[in-house]
Amino acid sequence: MAAITLEKLNKHYGSVYHAVKDVDLAIADKEFVALVGPSGCGKSTTLRMIAGLEDISSGDIRIGGRIVNHLPPRDRDVAMVFQNYALYQHLSVYDNLAFGLRNKKTPEADIRAAIDRAAGMLGLHELLQRKPKQLSGGQQQRVALGRCIVRNPQVFLFDEPLSNLDAKLRAQMRIEIKRLHAEIPTTSVFVTHDQVEAMTLGDRVVIMRDGRIQQIGTPLQVYGKPANKFVAGFIGAPAMNFIDVAVAVSPSGVTSVEAWGIKLTVSDANARALAVRNGDRVIMGVRPEHLMLGDGAPGMGFDAGVEVVEQLGSEILLETLVGNTSITAARVPAETKIARGDQVRLSVQPGRLHFFDPETELPISA
Amino acid sequence: MPMVTRPQFLPGLPNWSRKTFFALALTFICFAFAFPVLWLILTSLRPESGVYYVHRGTEFTLGNFKEVLSQERIVEAFINSAVISTLATIFSLLVTVSSGYMLSRFTGPASRMWFGTIYIFRCVPYISWVLPLYFVVQSWGIYDTYVGLLLPHIAVHICFFSWLMKGFFDGIDPSMEYAAMIDGCSRWGAFIRVAIPSALPAISALAVLCWLFTWNEFLFALILTGNRVPVITVVMAQFVTEMGLHWNLMAATAVMALLPAFLIALFGQKYVIQGLRI
Repeated sequence: MAAITLEKLNKHYGSVYHAVKDVDLAIADKEFVALVGPSGCGKSTTLRMIAGLEDISSGDIRIGGRIVNHLPPRDRDVAMVFQNYALYQHLSVYDNLAFGLRNKKTPEADIRAAIDRAAGMLGLHELLQRKPKQLSGGQQQRVALGRCIVRNPQVFLFDEPLSNLDAKLRAQMRIEIKRLHAEIPTTSVFVTHDQVEAMTLGDRVVIMRDGRIQQIGTPLQVYGKPANKFVAGFIGAPAMNFIDVAVAVSPSGVTSVEAWGIKLTVSDANARALAVRNGDRVIMGVRPEHLMLGDGAPGMGFDAGVEVVEQLGSEILLETLVGNTSITAARVPAETKIARGDQVRLSVQPGRLHFFDPETELPISA
Repeated sequence: MPMVTRPQFLPGLPNWSRKTFFALALTFICFAFAFPVLWLILTSLRPESGVYYVHRGTEFTLGNFKEVLSQERIVEAFINSAVISTLATIFSLLVTVSSGYMLSRFTGPASRMWFGTIYIFRCVPYISWVLPLYFVVQSWGIYDTYVGLLLPHIAVHICFFSWLMKGFFDGIDPSMEYAAMIDGCSRWGAFIRVAIPSALPAISALAVLCWLFTWNEFLFALILTGNRVPVITVVMAQFVTEMGLHWNLMAATAVMALLPAFLIALFGQKYVIQGLRI
């Protein structure tokens, strides 16, 4: 089995475009790591460099301790699932699955056994004789997964494999991939622009922007302690609310933040960090799911005007306006009678406020 | 509720008159295209005395075909044309497929230069190639030989059809080849084992085009061959003699020369169009 190490990895396209900047990442053996970020953030390029499909400009890639910088893809012992399945259109499903093993001159009997096992895991038995064109998107992606499994490689690479599927199928395949990883624990790198996929699949999540890694951490870490404002806004759905606020420390030593009539008392841990910025403007972040209807704890409530009501059946998403900032609140009970134009009282759960420096966008903490 | 309707051609006219208009227009266009061919076939079936009164008289004969086929030179020309077309197709496809693939998949100075070269040659009028080619062929001592006609044809094919082939490969998702490379193929292996089989419909369509292009080609054949390698297009023109014009024989030869194109149109059209659509 194999750990993957990326050291000071860089990718330049010509002299203008610097797609991947000084990426350092250590992926443990059997770990499932999700690379996530908006399009153009360098996540796919990073993956393709690990696969060997893209030359690296500088830095090192190690797979299983071996430097693979200049090895062709076929010598890296990796398998890859592509966004558009990339099945060999002229071959049957069986031959698609057998392709890699035949290249390794595996005896035909062993190939049949491996395909039989993979087909069993993925429910492909009835499809083996068909051509890829005769399969649905979900079936094609299962065949693509099968093609990886039969080769029993050291590393699985996934390049947005679920993006072309519809929402329901995407959720199913997510579970399927998770199950496969549990059954065949193999080091995996999963690239996606969908933070839900990254959070649900990854043992650890790597968030990238503009070619740089923003944060590496477990799903709970990146959700609870985002490394900067970008990560805070990117992880979590609906996205975190950001509000420009002014810090005020009262003579009695109570720290609060204010904007448009909102006045919130800040809890102890944040208060210490904020106290030194008395009078400064900072960015306050609060996740929609941490806003409740009603008064809540003392000093944690504010009034908001309802702009849009999104009824989800299980809960209501409220789009509200405070001053000129819109604030989204989730977790409003579905039965609540509420309409556009209503004034509501929202309150923040204590300890759920995030603060960021407006210049550096780094979190302000003790 | 107001209905949203598709904007119509010739609005205001009743439906039946619009339909009639289209039917008439179609008939006229088809007739305009088919007329020369029909006239040709008619001429080929008339005796020599009747060619100037093709539309009159009732005398029909297959004698023209018989006479044409009895001329050794014409039969030889048919065979030569077929052989040269086939060889030119095979050899030019070998180059065109890989050159189109390179243009589609690789971006770099080499690819750009190749593209530029092809582009320049495509822009040059076809006829201006002939004289330089004549001198080259002469100086290489291959004038009036198979090779002397094949090589220029292959060169033209490469310039004309690499573009088409590039377009086909542009339409084929490259990730299939990446998958093959990860699955144990070299770059060449991915090209030969995955890209070419996927492009096969397009390649066959291109083969048909290449073959017809060479079969129908007149200018190169006229300038670059003499007596030793007669080809059908040149031989056909040679019915124009000092003794007069043998329209009936020329038409009979032309009808036979039309056959391959006709057969392809009849049976292969669907596949050619499908291939070109990749």
